[in-house]
Amino acid sequence: MNEFIPLMVIIPIVCALLLNLLHKKDNSTKIIAIIVAIIVPIIPLIANYGLHYFGGHAPLIANSTLLSSLPAEIANSTLASFHPAITYSFEAFQKLFIFILGIVAFFAIFTSLSETKRTSGPLMFLMFMGIAAVTAILLTDDIFHMYVFFEIAALAQTGIILTSNTEDNYETALKYLIVGSIGGPLLLLGIGFVLGVFGSVNITDIVYSISNGIVDPLSPTVLLAFGLIFFGWLYASGLPPFHTIKSSIYSKALPHSAALLQGFTVITFIAIGIVIFRIFSYLPYFKTLIIIFSLLAMILGITMAIMQTDFRRMLGFLAVGELGYIGLGFGLGTHLSITAGLFQAANEIIITALLFIGFGTVMYLTNTSNTNKLGGLLSVNPKLAIMVLIGGFAMAGVPPLNGFQSKLMIIQASLDSGFPEISIIAILVSIATFMTFVKAFHSVYLKPKPKDLKLVNSSVPKPAIISIAILLLICIILGIFPQIATDPISQFVGGLI
Amino acid sequence: MASDDNSNNDLGDNLYSKIVNSFKGIKEKIANDSTTNESVSSALAAELTLISSILIAAIMLRHINIILTVIVVLGLGLFLITNMPLIPTLKREQSDSLEKMIFYIILTLGILITVIYWGFTHV
Amino acid sequence: MIEFTIDTQLAALFTSAAFIVIGLFAAIFLDNIIKKIIGIAFIEEGANLFIVTLGYKQGGIVPIFLPGMNAEWFAANSAYPLPHALVLTSIVIGASTLAVMLAIAMVLYRKYGSLSTAVILGDKKPDIIKSGVIDSNEKGDKNE
Repeated sequence: MNEFIPLMVIIPIVCALLLNLLHKKDNSTKIIAIIVAIIVPIIPLIANYGLHYFGGHAPLIANSTLLSSLPAEIANSTLASFHPAITYSFEAFQKLFIFILGIVAFFAIFTSLSETKRTSGPLMFLMFMGIAAVTAILLTDDIFHMYVFFEIAALAQTGIILTSNTEDNYETALKYLIVGSIGGPLLLLGIGFVLGVFGSVNITDIVYSISNGIVDPLSPTVLLAFGLIFFGWLYASGLPPFHTIKSSIYSKALPHSAALLQGFTVITFIAIGIVIFRIFSYLPYFKTLIIIFSLLAMILGITMAIMQTDFRRMLGFLAVGELGYIGLGFGLGTHLSITAGLFQAANEIIITALLFIGFGTVMYLTNTSNTNKLGGLLSVNPKLAIMVLIGGFAMAGVPPLNGFQSKLMIIQASLDSGFPEISIIAILVSIATFMTFVKAFHSVYLKPKPKDLKLVNSSVPKPAIISIAILLLICIILGIFPQIATDPISQFVGGLI
Repeated sequence: MASDDNSNNDLGDNLYSKIVNSFKGIKEKIANDSTTNESVSSALAAELTLISSILIAAIMLRHINIILTVIVVLGLGLFLITNMPLIPTLKREQSDSLEKMIFYIILTLGILITVIYWGFTHV
Repeated sequence: MIEFTIDTQLAALFTSAAFIVIGLFAAIFLDNIIKKIIGIAFIEEGANLFIVTLGYKQGGIVPIFLPGMNAEWFAANSAYPLPHALVLTSIVIGASTLAVMLAIAMVLYRKYGSLSTAVILGDKKPDIIKSGVIDSNEKGDKNE
């Protein structure tokens, strides 16, 4: 048992509550936020792998003295192998993703503190609450626990939009809550069906019950549960039909907050995706269903992204479209494809964060995000512009960056599974992504400067530049040495199939 | 025979001019954007990406039935090309309006539950 | 005369289904934002009621193992406590979501002077507000 595992969730929560109390005191808020933001990515690095049972209630089968004292009909039943406690499992896979989330969160907070004049205690509170919730979603082996923390993350996301002060942020937040209040309870209802059928909400127990034939895996109740949980997954991850509201959320948050929000979404997407895959992948047409929604997300995301004139909205749609690649990984369902999909998830968190922070500097300089009103910003900071350009290349999948590696793996996986059409669509969408990005880059940086464009701030703050440079460095390192990420992922996927 | 060729040419001409005209039509149909070269070219790119990826995705039906695939791809292709400026409609349907969002959400929920509940039990 | 009896669990399931359907109807079709929010509360409570119902046992006892009880008799007669424990958390989550929604509705009412969704969330915004297109960060930091 390892005491660091629950600390990954507890430390951000405690920090969040503390910051909420201190929100009037700017300096102490700043110091605490920075310190905890540094601690968050460090804990997964020093923690040992293992399981953590809350309350210490290990399964009976793991506790031989207790097991021998029980009557034989309990000791020999499946009950002995069930998990009575909420279980956190921490492996190399979780370590990788919590570390990446921590890094992105650190840079988002770091940039946020430097770009806003007054430190916002509530914003920091919400960011840390979101980090804690998403970490718990990734660690937990309990589907209800996942739902609870997912709702907390959704509330934190709403709160982050409310603090942003952009135009129409309250309206968008209310829309998100209304839409979420249809998606969330239906997810809960699906979990209720699962609880009714299996009598447990622990995912390992559910998988055990299905594989040992304790319940009928094709009974209508299980199917209905699958439908509802799948629908909840669409809502949680912003796949169509929820892509409009999700991209709207990204565009209403300040860019550095949006960098964190998309990280939350991607991690929720893969965590719930893995759960659905573990429980329901035996169903016929399971893979077809995921592929259909992934392709829809890719096509609708990219076609809408091309049409946008607001670069924040464009990035929002691009981020939603990229989720389709991860979904394809789950949909193809082979070892290589899931590894590729999860690797793509890791890359996407970093690249999209880079682009949001990078284009966020444009908003910091000019106070507008409309590409028609922008232009000629290359002269302000050419190095920054080039770094953003390379980040965009990484998203489009230009070698030798990390986006290239993961997209290549997805294309190979789809060719191996006998779906060359998916590869073609993936390449097509990649090209369109490239075009979208170059168009935005041209209209922001290269096009002649419009006469009425006034710079609000004369230069970009150093923390933003440092954040972008380090995120870019991670992109290049992962592009040249993809095995850093693919080895733990591949090992994890091996246990999944 | 000659008349057949002519009619084919007519059909080709019609289809071709229809496509070209619809490209021109896009420019007028993007109501809210200030029509620059950039916005028209991006609308075109979006249009082409959409049509080609939908058609390629339709080819995947070959895993079920090849004749069905041929019919669906041809029908879909004709349908998409004759309704050519698709992007303005698509953009309007994916606006931030709450009614449209909820409409599509409920539609998806209905289709999903129906397909999963009945589809899976009767396979 | 037909005698129609229905047991408690089934009745609760029907009630929860009715809650969800009525809630969905209200959340989709009603225009007043407060009514919409009440509808949403209905959906949440329907899901909660459904989960509580799962733990119900006809003639069951409170699931507390007291000294002197026979373990087998207890296992056969006690209600299932897990759903009840879960629902407690989900009620709290639902209440906080509701609170945030009502708070936003208040802010929007102050801004637009109306509770109609068509006005505050739709495209038919009053011209006064539409004309004053405010760029980001210019609204001041009063909302902080």
